[in-house]
Amino acid sequence: MDFLNSILIKPFADMFGAPDFLMQVLWEGLVSGVLYALIALGFVLIYKSSRIFNFAQGIMVVFAALTLVGLHEKGVPAWLALPLTLGVMYLLAMSIERVVLRPLVNQPDIILFMATIGITLFLIGFGEIIFGGENKVMITEQLGIPTGSWEFEPFGGFLSIEQRDVTAVVGAVLLVAALLLFLNKSKMGRAIRALGDDHQAALSVGISLSTIWVVVWFIAGVIALATGIVWGSRAGVSFALEVIAYKALPVLMLGGLESVLGAIVGGLAIGILEKLFEIYWGQPILGGNTETWFAFVLALIVLLFRPQGLFGERIIERV
Amino acid sequence: MKRLAKTALLASGLALAAAFAAPAFAQDAINLPNLSYRTGPFAATGIPLMNGQRDYIAMLNARDGGVNGVTINYEECETGYNTEKGVECYEKTKAGAAVTQPWSTGITLQVLPKSNVDKIAVLAPGYGFSPMADGKTFKWAFNPPSSYWDGASMILQNISQGNLDSLKGKKIALLHLDHPYGKEPIPLLEALAAKHGFTFLPIPVGLKEMQNQSAQWLQIRREKPDFVLMWGWGAMNAGAITEAVKTKYPMNQFIGIWWSSLDGDLKLVGDAGKGYRAVSWSVPNSASKAMQDIKKHVVDAGKSMINQAEGEFDWVFYQRGVLISMMSVEAIKAAQAKFNVKVPNAEQVRWGLENLDINEAKLAELGMEGMIVPFKTSCADHTGHGGAWMLEWDGKQFVKASDLIKPDRAAIEPLEIEKAKEYATANAPWPLNDECK
Repeated sequence: MDFLNSILIKPFADMFGAPDFLMQVLWEGLVSGVLYALIALGFVLIYKSSRIFNFAQGIMVVFAALTLVGLHEKGVPAWLALPLTLGVMYLLAMSIERVVLRPLVNQPDIILFMATIGITLFLIGFGEIIFGGENKVMITEQLGIPTGSWEFEPFGGFLSIEQRDVTAVVGAVLLVAALLLFLNKSKMGRAIRALGDDHQAALSVGISLSTIWVVVWFIAGVIALATGIVWGSRAGVSFALEVIAYKALPVLMLGGLESVLGAIVGGLAIGILEKLFEIYWGQPILGGNTETWFAFVLALIVLLFRPQGLFGERIIERV
Repeated sequence: MKRLAKTALLASGLALAAAFAAPAFAQDAINLPNLSYRTGPFAATGIPLMNGQRDYIAMLNARDGGVNGVTINYEECETGYNTEKGVECYEKTKAGAAVTQPWSTGITLQVLPKSNVDKIAVLAPGYGFSPMADGKTFKWAFNPPSSYWDGASMILQNISQGNLDSLKGKKIALLHLDHPYGKEPIPLLEALAAKHGFTFLPIPVGLKEMQNQSAQWLQIRREKPDFVLMWGWGAMNAGAITEAVKTKYPMNQFIGIWWSSLDGDLKLVGDAGKGYRAVSWSVPNSASKAMQDIKKHVVDAGKSMINQAEGEFDWVFYQRGVLISMMSVEAIKAAQAKFNVKVPNAEQVRWGLENLDINEAKLAELGMEGMIVPFKTSCADHTGHGGAWMLEWDGKQFVKASDLIKPDRAAIEPLEIEKAKEYATANAPWPLNDECK
């Protein structure tokens, strides 16, 4: 009976007993969700246009953030370091297309996937040679990101909202809106979508595979930079940032690998639900640290009913 | 044709010379492998430690021609703090090694049974499995000068002003990496909580959550512990300190173990981290003779890998790395003197580790006064239990903030013996060192 009470009644009693704390949990979940969605978006964009599962997305976050901080350390002002970093990410996209992807056109998906593992290993080694492995301070203030906090007293309690987190949420929303606009309204965006729908058909009407791949990898680089700035401002920039990419995997399973909307909804859902579960069920009943597996279990349950994910396209194959 | 023959002859000659010269060099050198980690999520912690270890050996080779005239070959094998890679590195470097340094509690636990067979001493200063202190059970393992259980005991001694009964009714949280290292103090803290009547709350942090600990700090906000102890490593330290600042948890109630005292982590929060403390068996002293010799022979000579712009030379971790290499070298010196050999083998170095006597006079002789707690190992005691000091972050650097604290050995020793016995039984047949009284 006690066990049922701890699962079915106590968590909800706790939520309503301390609504200010519940609001804090929801806010922290929302912020985490936005960040997960950002990482997942990088994966989705590349998968949509090339059917490549980009294992290198995590290290691209580290590489972009380290380039930004590294340039600033060399004396480049923040306003200049930002566009220069974007330039580096463009060069990276071009190099990947020329050196890795172009020679592998028409190869099986698994070969391309293995190639992205190669890119990851190269970027780890290259990044460590150039920037070293030490933790670096993100140039948050220099980029004009506020670092204070707003404090409220809802229901006579306490709610703290970090201005940095608000900036992250607003920035992510703007980035996603711009991305959706680009994908749906621009000629290039339509070409990317066409390539995602049918490679052969897209190529037959004159869409350039090389150009699209460079553009898509560059956009993934821009997303990686945004993610790196936000995560880096929380606990520094180091190669440890790479592991957060694994948080995107259940988001992709949940939302579907080729759906931009799926990445956003999946990211937000996992961010909020894993935080609620950890605080009200995981910590009191299971000793905590449920965030390491909760999202995967949730994604697994969804896959049982919708193998293509919540927003993924249903795969119908003629046999 | 004649020219080609001459070239071939010269090449063969060089190859022969190299073949004969290599073993001669290997015979006259002491191999000191280090299972290091300069890459991956824990690199920020590993780099200054490895730099310190490397630079001390480089200084001895440059200043004194090695140890008693024998050059030391310091060789790193990169593990990335990954247990599987660590075991691979151990296997790769064990041939001819004077001693092995696994650099992770997970790797130490894997290497422990192998060391009995390979007869190579495992040196794990301030880390590893706390019951390794029991030399009768762990003949080949050493964790001087203080174990994790010593560390937990000393933190409790400090926060209770020496009276653990005063903690009755209080709540003490342990924010720890969800890894063998982070879980290490739990058995002792559970035992002490039951004995002294305080509530013990372990809060694990997963590898993927190291940089986003909002859930853990929400739990701390809800549970309102009187003290938060931290067993953090790598990016977890920076993540925790940032969240503590954000949560406005009182810094003077937040205390880390010695691996949570990396200057680079605290620099992320600067003044906001003022008052944060960490228990430490080492204190940096850049003006000491040993450090100045490193500066002269290694750093100024351009042979060091330290980040001078960040002031790494003065960091706690860099200088702790220096002290760790000092322990290996002193064990080698002791073995050379005892067995009257130039290049002692692994068994002889094990004897050296068992007879380390790092007292005040020895530290003065080494030019390391006040940098490390004095300690003495023996056949039965492979830790030395030298104690530690509290270091406090003043907004710019760590400063010494207490007198020497000693662990409550009466409370720890029975648990050490019990867990050592449990380990030996679980890994039977486990060889015991019957020479120890």
